[in-house]
Amino acid sequence: MTSAASESVSPPRTLAGMPAWLAFSLLTILLWGAWGVTSKIASEGVDANTNQVFFTFGLLPLVVWIWCAMRFRPRADDTKRSWIGIGWAFITGILGGTGNIAFFHALVAGGKVSIVAPVTALFPLVTVILAVAILHERLSLQQKCGLALALVAIYLLSM
Amino acid sequence: MIPSWVIFAAIALVFWGITGVTQKLSTNRISSGQSFLWFAYAMGAISLVLWLFVPMHWHVTRLTLWLAIAGGMLNGLGALTSFAALESGGKASVVISLISLYPLLTVTLAVLFLHERIRVGQGIGIMLAVAAAILLSMEKPAAAAE
Repeated sequence: MTSAASESVSPPRTLAGMPAWLAFSLLTILLWGAWGVTSKIASEGVDANTNQVFFTFGLLPLVVWIWCAMRFRPRADDTKRSWIGIGWAFITGILGGTGNIAFFHALVAGGKVSIVAPVTALFPLVTVILAVAILHERLSLQQKCGLALALVAIYLLSM
Repeated sequence: MIPSWVIFAAIALVFWGITGVTQKLSTNRISSGQSFLWFAYAMGAISLVLWLFVPMHWHVTRLTLWLAIAGGMLNGLGALTSFAALESGGKASVVISLISLYPLLTVTLAVLFLHERIRVGQGIGIMLAVAAAILLSMEKPAAAAE
């Protein structure tokens, strides 16, 4: 295709015969969906704190991969340096890791992963509340409905 | 009496919920790659503290060890593929809503392979939770553009 239109608007990237964004989204569902189950099986044989240490070992190959990609094939935004941004990313890791430990404790304490996973997946509830309180964002109608549904869901799932 | 797993799940929900804001504050200033690296370094710091100050139980079966390590890899890879989905031209509202379906896969796998049973009330709760997660991720257009 050599038309001006096709030159000015690049075709969407595809992966496995579908738009790349859809393929990556489905892959994310697969990866995170499977994570819940592997965590539950692992929790039968290891305590929550040790599980978190093993979890971190699992991140190591990805750290090496991303580090190499940024070192040898940096993108334009990879050169941006902001200690505040780095600080927030580090805090995200601390909070995420602490959340992980609590998640593993929930599984070790006998919580079914089929219940714990949907409950913890409601974390955008807290994000939305904080976004309103701290970032002064406004809630959409859908988010207000989501908030109400989330509270009912938590009640039903914790019974 | 609230079961302990509910309290721990609530703690995870709150901490992961806060990361939704801190991650946004981070990726507004640095690339998703840098953000991932510093996120992982913080995970390393937590593990180091646990290793030094909390009794560890290293005597685990090989299966448990590899599943726990695979957990970290699956979770981290999921974070990277979610970034990739957003960077491949997917609208944030669509991508994040779609990704919010992941607990449905966990539930399906848990029922099929772990033989977990779900009561009717819990089943309704699961459907509502997934619907809520999708709705919560739908920002106003102006807010999404910020």
